[in-house]
Amino acid sequence: MAVGSRLRHIIESQQFSRALLEELFVLADDMKSQPHRYAGRLKGQLMAALFYEPSTRTRLSFEAAMLRLGGRTMGTDNAREFSSAAKGETIEDTVRIVSGYSDVIVLRHYEEGAARRAAAVSSVPVINAGDGPGQHPTQALLDLYTIRDEIGHVDGIRIAMVGDLANGRTVRSLTYLLSKFRDIRVSFVAPHQVAMRQDIKDHLDEHRVPWTETQDLDAVLPQVDVVYQTRIQKERFPDEASYLAVKGIYRIDARAMSLLQKSAIVMHPLPRVDEIAQEIDSDPRAAYFRQARNGMYIRMALLDRVLS
Amino acid sequence: MSVTERRLKATVMDAEQIRRSLSRIAHEIVERNHGAGEVVLVGVFSRGDHLARRLAAQLEELEGHPIVVGAIDTSEHRDDRHLREPAHRFKSDVPDVDGKVVVLVDDVIHRGRTARAAMDALLDFGRPRAIQLAVLVDRGHRELPIRPDYVGKNVPTSDSERIEVLVAEEDGLDQAVIVAG
Repeated sequence: MAVGSRLRHIIESQQFSRALLEELFVLADDMKSQPHRYAGRLKGQLMAALFYEPSTRTRLSFEAAMLRLGGRTMGTDNAREFSSAAKGETIEDTVRIVSGYSDVIVLRHYEEGAARRAAAVSSVPVINAGDGPGQHPTQALLDLYTIRDEIGHVDGIRIAMVGDLANGRTVRSLTYLLSKFRDIRVSFVAPHQVAMRQDIKDHLDEHRVPWTETQDLDAVLPQVDVVYQTRIQKERFPDEASYLAVKGIYRIDARAMSLLQKSAIVMHPLPRVDEIAQEIDSDPRAAYFRQARNGMYIRMALLDRVLS
Repeated sequence: MSVTERRLKATVMDAEQIRRSLSRIAHEIVERNHGAGEVVLVGVFSRGDHLARRLAAQLEELEGHPIVVGAIDTSEHRDDRHLREPAHRFKSDVPDVDGKVVVLVDDVIHRGRTARAAMDALLDFGRPRAIQLAVLVDRGHRELPIRPDYVGKNVPTSDSERIEVLVAEEDGLDQAVIVAG
């Protein structure tokens, strides 16, 4: 029936075809360069932010995106504690009710699969803003958009993913998206306790994306176009000693930057602690704050596509 | 398009119903064609291609041999192409269809014009022994003498409504819905 790409719900990063990604990126570019043209685009429309776990940056990014398009927002930051969920209401019932009030629902939930369950009963589009350890598709889109924006293209890039690769949903979601592009090479750099899981490696093999795994960051740095750094979280380790053994080993500082190519970039989903030294913030290759800003434009493009 | 136009009015099929319908259609294809040895599935972009791949997987399980699957872009053969904005073009990927039974697979049949365009497009690639048509939803209102051979569900609709079939591969979940249009 339909010709062209249609977008209703945003559930997982795998659902985006290359063509749809390209359409979104072109739209985000235009919104970035000519914001005034879009200022009234979603006038009269209402976004509901249902956050069952706190995420200040993701929520503010979505709210800013909606407001910049002329729409309005409402929401709750602690839906788990303060809403009817505390009385035992199911996510399905909550979403049925809230979809009657609003034109789009942005959902952050602590359970994997919550976004799909919500979408199945919602009368308006549902955007997954993170569901537990599962997916965070809008983060993956903004990461990919940032690579395209900074490097100029996605095909052919070499990327190192560094840090906690077992638990980081952002690196998992991004890897799914990268496998849709050509001539990508991926290096996983992680302590063995938090190495990239087998399912993602299998996915890359299926899509014929060559990948390597190492614990030697210095050897990888001179070879890559993108360093995607993540935070190693203390709570993922069985004891203090094993955490301290790997803490800080993959710190990106001035010395690490000296190994990196002039044209390469450093990305991070933020928040960072000490895995990226503040001394490199002024280096033009430090792209993480621009990356965060891109998140707003990508969310503007997504909101526009599902609502207009 | 205002937002009220995209508000869902009702769910016509959920993920489980879609799975069962595709399973039944796979059985019907095998029964009608006395197996699937000569059957080639060709999905119509941009949801039918996913449904065709799923049907092929079901047929392979039933019959124990590989099934050839392709996909076809109808935009060049549409009778309303002069009225439509140029949209993203999909790249047709049609296998050898000469002498085969081609089952065209689409998500929704409505006026029958997409099915006609799909048949026209297909015939550019060869001369099938027969063409059959499988759809997940038949919403009526035909304007051409076309009748699908395999139907997931008949859904009577009014002209002001639209049916959207969502597939997990592109939409994150499986669902057929009526949207106010």
